[in-house]
Amino acid sequence: MEARIEGVRFAYGDRPVLDVPELRIEAGRVTALLGPNGSGKSTLLRLLAGLERPRSGRVLVGGKPAPQARSSVAYAFQEAVFLSGSLRANLDLALRLRGLAADERRSRLAEAAGACGVAHLLDRPANRLSGGEAQRANLARALALRAPLTLLDEPLAGFDERGRGQMLEELPALLRRFAGTAVLVTHDRDEALRLAADLVLLREGCVRAAGPKREVFASPPDPDTAELLGYTILGTDAGLAGIAPGGLRPGPGDFTLTLQVEEVVDLVTAAEVIGSSGGRRIAVRCPPGEPLPAPGEQVSVSAPTEMVVSFTVPAPETVDRASRASVA
Amino acid sequence: MEAIWDGLVEAFRLIGSGDGDLFSIAGRTLLVSGSATALAMVVGVPLGYLLGRARFPARTLILAGVGTGMGMPPVVAGLIIWLLLVRSGPFGGFELIYTKQAMIIAQFLIATPLVIAFTAASIQSLPARLPDLLTVLGAGRLRTLWLLAKEARLGLLAAVMAGFGAVVSEVGASMAVGGNLAGDTRVLTTAIVTETSRADTERAIAYGLVLLAMAFAIVAVLTVVQQRSPR
Amino acid sequence: MSLARRLLVLPALCALVFAAACGGSDDDPGTIILATTTSTYDSGLLDELVPRFEERTGITVKVIAVGTGAALRMAGEGNADAVLVHAPEAEAPYVASGDLVSSRLVMTNDFVIVGPPDDPARAASASDLPAALAAIAADGRFVSRGDDSGTHKRELALWGTAGIDPSALPREETGQGMGATLTIASERRAYTLTDRATYLALRDVLDLTVFVEGDASLLNPYHVHVVNPDRHDGVAAEQAEAFAAFLLEPATQALIGRFRAEEFGRSLFTPALESPVGGG
Repeated sequence: MEARIEGVRFAYGDRPVLDVPELRIEAGRVTALLGPNGSGKSTLLRLLAGLERPRSGRVLVGGKPAPQARSSVAYAFQEAVFLSGSLRANLDLALRLRGLAADERRSRLAEAAGACGVAHLLDRPANRLSGGEAQRANLARALALRAPLTLLDEPLAGFDERGRGQMLEELPALLRRFAGTAVLVTHDRDEALRLAADLVLLREGCVRAAGPKREVFASPPDPDTAELLGYTILGTDAGLAGIAPGGLRPGPGDFTLTLQVEEVVDLVTAAEVIGSSGGRRIAVRCPPGEPLPAPGEQVSVSAPTEMVVSFTVPAPETVDRASRASVA
Repeated sequence: MEAIWDGLVEAFRLIGSGDGDLFSIAGRTLLVSGSATALAMVVGVPLGYLLGRARFPARTLILAGVGTGMGMPPVVAGLIIWLLLVRSGPFGGFELIYTKQAMIIAQFLIATPLVIAFTAASIQSLPARLPDLLTVLGAGRLRTLWLLAKEARLGLLAAVMAGFGAVVSEVGASMAVGGNLAGDTRVLTTAIVTETSRADTERAIAYGLVLLAMAFAIVAVLTVVQQRSPR
Repeated sequence: MSLARRLLVLPALCALVFAAACGGSDDDPGTIILATTTSTYDSGLLDELVPRFEERTGITVKVIAVGTGAALRMAGEGNADAVLVHAPEAEAPYVASGDLVSSRLVMTNDFVIVGPPDDPARAASASDLPAALAAIAADGRFVSRGDDSGTHKRELALWGTAGIDPSALPREETGQGMGATLTIASERRAYTLTDRATYLALRDVLDLTVFVEGDASLLNPYHVHVVNPDRHDGVAAEQAEAFAAFLLEPATQALIGRFRAEEFGRSLFTPALESPVGGG
């Protein structure tokens, strides 16, 4: 189900947290809201769920104002919260509140619990599940609803590293199977790129870029956004340049810079050369077999043109935001 | 020692004989303190819920007020209600002084701060996101409240028990506003005072035993529920 | 699922219970508040008299037992309809101010001074009341009501007549009723002033003996007064008047004279019709 945000401003008390003139969540796709902590991405999710009402503007889910569209929305909070009682009772309550018949509830419950790997935990008290178990149960509760719009807040938080890796592999299939349209919040670029088709980049309450992930990734509008996507930002004669993650190679090329080597880290399958250039710390990955520089040396590193974006300074967006802030 | 033993034996005989006074006083005690506690729940639970959930400027002040109310000696509550309800007082026209209603009002005043404080504490101990969760799951406002109350049921039960325990055992307020009228406003505690001053120790002991039995029943119910509840 | 109905159950239940608790007598022949002293109440006399009056007239009598001072103040502020007390000096200002009207002597009993049976102060051998008080002041402990009751007022007056400053004595104030004070005196092996009725009623459980009695200044007259309806709103004067009249009916007076007489071998109260003190 499609969702739209039109001219929305939101504040907690006097503190403005979100200002989104326009945003569209495409139906049938997975959208990731990516941004650092405090960028307003969770607030955006809460607006979509109808848990918050904007100061101005509209949040429409399937054409209806968000608070009235709650029955079309499933939401998994970042912290897995359950009522007392068994996990089964918790999942069943969620389905019952959607007005589903007992048979339907039973089959949906079993299917989602099985898919999320919590079928064996159904009769345990939900509040006694371990961190990873609780997160899977939390996901199962949201997915069992098969809602037209599924909202996931940091679905991979709360897992240990191994569990997170596993979930990262399982989640795309789960979303395809249970969620028509999904919006997930994350602060992790890899997660966003792996799980989502569309990206919405947020910073300080503003949407900096939105669209299919390839387009957004290829042309970040400003250095901040580029940094969010993992770009290495460098000062050049023309202003600032961003090099896409993994774009730098040892040796000269299209876009060459000199690196003062500080440290060389042996990763066995590769090596990482860490150094500084123009006052910025830069890490360059060297394929195995290449001769490695020693700390203290100066070496040339480069990136191909297609991996480099340049920005004029200062970025117009920044000026705009600064003036607005001073007015407020 | 013998006096105590004789008193106990006689007291049990009184209880066993189905003494009319004893059972009517015990029944009245339950009626008055039960009504006061029920009213205190009706008023105190919503207020406690608000204090436990909402954040507003006067909250700390109100919580401090509630804490003071919890520490208020029952006899002071009795004095306040007496001054209000007595014929020359502002509400004298209602002719409520020396009635069971007056006792219920005074006991309500005693129990409500307890109920508010226990409710607020139990609501505060719930996960902060719980109301949001219930909202997004599609529970309406009433059902959200109901589910939250169910979730906080042990705390709410403790609120009932604390409120009832406080009012059923207090004597000062009941004496002041009820007047300890035989057959009308005499409850177990004030009856104990009367029988003690009349040196009818057996009766005083019998009333005391019934009061203890009530207190025990309350604690037993609470304990059973606590033990049965998962979590 | 009738969630709303379930949520409504509690308030409904409360309303029901409150209504049940309220269900009493109201618009019938009326109710009066009789403020009286704890000693009157503890004797059990009113338990005998009040039901007869209620049965006959249908008027409900709420007997509030407090100290004399409190009883008079309640009446003086219009918080009672009638008052039955035994402290003529304290009653006088209220009668003089017109707050209390229709005053009548109902009965008398007398005060006695009791103490531990071995009589450590040798109060029994004193020639008269002041001498006995002096003996107690010199060699005994004294427990006082200290509650502004008629008995307390009388006690202070007696010390005054004997020329003794009570604040200089080894004297403790209980702040409680006569029964409690007697129990405390008994336990602490002290002397105290008590009305005879309460003492006789509790005699069996007390370790106290009468040492001083019979003095004219120990007479204890009980008066009934009606609160003046012209000075205080809401006073049920008619019903209160009926109660006062009831107390002085010959049948009631006879009942007062007989009250627990058999049990104790003597009358606890002397009815006003045969009282040594002139009618009020």
